[in-house]
Amino acid sequence: MNSDSAPFPAIETAGLTKRFGRITAVDSLDLSLPAGRIYGLLGPNGSGKTTLIRLLVGLARPTSGTARVLGVPMPSRPNLARIGYMTQADGIYTELSVWENVRFFAALFGIHDADRLREVLEVVDLADRRNTPTLELSGGMRRRLSLACALVHRPDVLFLDEPTVGIDPALRVQFWDYFRRLAGEGSTLLVSSHVMDEAERCDELLLVLHGRLLAQGSSRSVVERAGATDLEGAFLRLGAAEPGE
Amino acid sequence: MNLRRTFAISRRIASGFRRDHRTVALMFVAPVVILGLLGWVIRDQTPAPTRLSVVNLAGPVGERMADALANAAADAGLEPGPGLADEAAARAALADGGVDLVAILPASLPGDLVAGSPTLRVLSPGLNPTDDATRLATLQRVVAAAASGQVALPSIEREQVFGSADGDFLDAFAPALVGFFAFFLVFILTGISFLRERVGGTLERLLATPIRRSEIVAGYGLGFGLFATIQVAVIMAFSLGHLAVPAIGPLPAFTIGLGIHNAGSPGLAFLVTLLLALGSVNLGIFISTFARTEFQVLQFIPIVIVPQGLLGGIFWPVSSLPDALEPVARVMPLTYAVEGLREVLVKGSDLGSPTLQLDLGVLAAVAVLLVVVATLTIRREVA
Repeated sequence: MNSDSAPFPAIETAGLTKRFGRITAVDSLDLSLPAGRIYGLLGPNGSGKTTLIRLLVGLARPTSGTARVLGVPMPSRPNLARIGYMTQADGIYTELSVWENVRFFAALFGIHDADRLREVLEVVDLADRRNTPTLELSGGMRRRLSLACALVHRPDVLFLDEPTVGIDPALRVQFWDYFRRLAGEGSTLLVSSHVMDEAERCDELLLVLHGRLLAQGSSRSVVERAGATDLEGAFLRLGAAEPGE
Repeated sequence: MNLRRTFAISRRIASGFRRDHRTVALMFVAPVVILGLLGWVIRDQTPAPTRLSVVNLAGPVGERMADALANAAADAGLEPGPGLADEAAARAALADGGVDLVAILPASLPGDLVAGSPTLRVLSPGLNPTDDATRLATLQRVVAAAASGQVALPSIEREQVFGSADGDFLDAFAPALVGFFAFFLVFILTGISFLRERVGGTLERLLATPIRRSEIVAGYGLGFGLFATIQVAVIMAFSLGHLAVPAIGPLPAFTIGLGIHNAGSPGLAFLVTLLLALGSVNLGIFISTFARTEFQVLQFIPIVIVPQGLLGGIFWPVSSLPDALEPVARVMPLTYAVEGLREVLVKGSDLGSPTLQLDLGVLAAVAVLLVVVATLTIRREVA
């Protein structure tokens, strides 16, 4: 799928709001994100990034407003077959081997093709570790395995919650190269991060603070519009202009 | 319900087990070791020797009776205790362990004999009620034998409706324990396993796939149910089987298996235990909602497991519980499993027995209820 042929945006929200008691984690968010691009979801810790992703994946129900992924209102169980989600925690079974983990998640998507499993392990560079118990993997290898589990069913939309936290720079570069390849193949990626230097690699940025959208656009346009010199400065300026909590 | 997704969950559980040898040992070896130890202790314990002293305070009248008692005691296999002069000496001897039982012929004996109500005072240490009760029963036989100098007492020939006449405590105890082990170990394993799903983020990820909650619960039931099945098979084989191993070289002869007397169909006993284990799997899933760490799962043992072990009829019949506790026992699944297992293994009942029908019905209903409850605790919307 790519943006030209898609009759609707890959990700679309209207007045999307999520409250936990008195705290508003996501505040009347309106988004319309065409397919085939990498979107960077930027914001400090506690700004509502994870809650937004969980609403889009359908793991949480909005207090008000709607979230649509690939045109389907979420939560929708069948639609999850087209969605990939890499959680902030590794979310893999440490008592299983690398191969068993991927095989398990693939089976949940109805994929029983060993070639596809080999292929996805090839992509994350774990093919020669397939029989290693996950417990013996390094932190970076576990992140890679986690990514493989999110990719195994070739999702059209991929949500990645802080995928590069705690991994070394070389692996981070590798991850982003791979994200770019997926976008080139038509997938839509929403990558959350609080590492500003990763923002440069996204096609479009979504700056969120206190659950509200501060700015949207390419890295350069966001910086220019804020009248700042870099993204961090833009964040501070835009954040200061907002009525805080 | 998509069966392949359900099987994927069960297969994942089985794969995890394959690598976790300790857990496998806990499930299969621990119950066998505990039952084996129990069987050994119950069957081969050396009965405490009973040393009986007779204190005669009744003069020449008592002398004859004391002799008769001593002779009858020797015939019954009791050891003679030291000669004691009075009650104070008897108490001192009991206190320092020199004697186990003292029979006192009181000074009022001659008068009582005339009145037709002779009384024998007996002193026992009171440190171990079970030992005391056994010794007292022996003494009663001794007294009866001593008194039967003239009149022949009928001897007792005993026959049981259920079980075998040479059966012991273990025959009634082991069937109940089979149920308890399955219930307890399956609860702990699922509780911790599911807690790790919740805490480790795999449940979050699972719920972001097209799997249904009912498929997760069914997969867990199937995965752990399979292990409960093997576990129950192992425990039953050990409890019911009896394999005599002859002496080889320096090893003395020994037997493997408890050789519990079994009147009924092991298949039915299996069914009872499996229904219980299925309830236990879902109880574990449900309980994991209220725990944040593995340790907190263990904290539910005294709340969920121990009361069922105490009140479920393993040690005392449910009908003899205090009035207030009997209804409590009547809502516990383990109660019905214990009753059902005894019904099958001791009484030899088949499906025609109303008691067994009730037990199976309750266990099935509890399992269904817990499946529903467990499914409801897995929520897509986790706040």
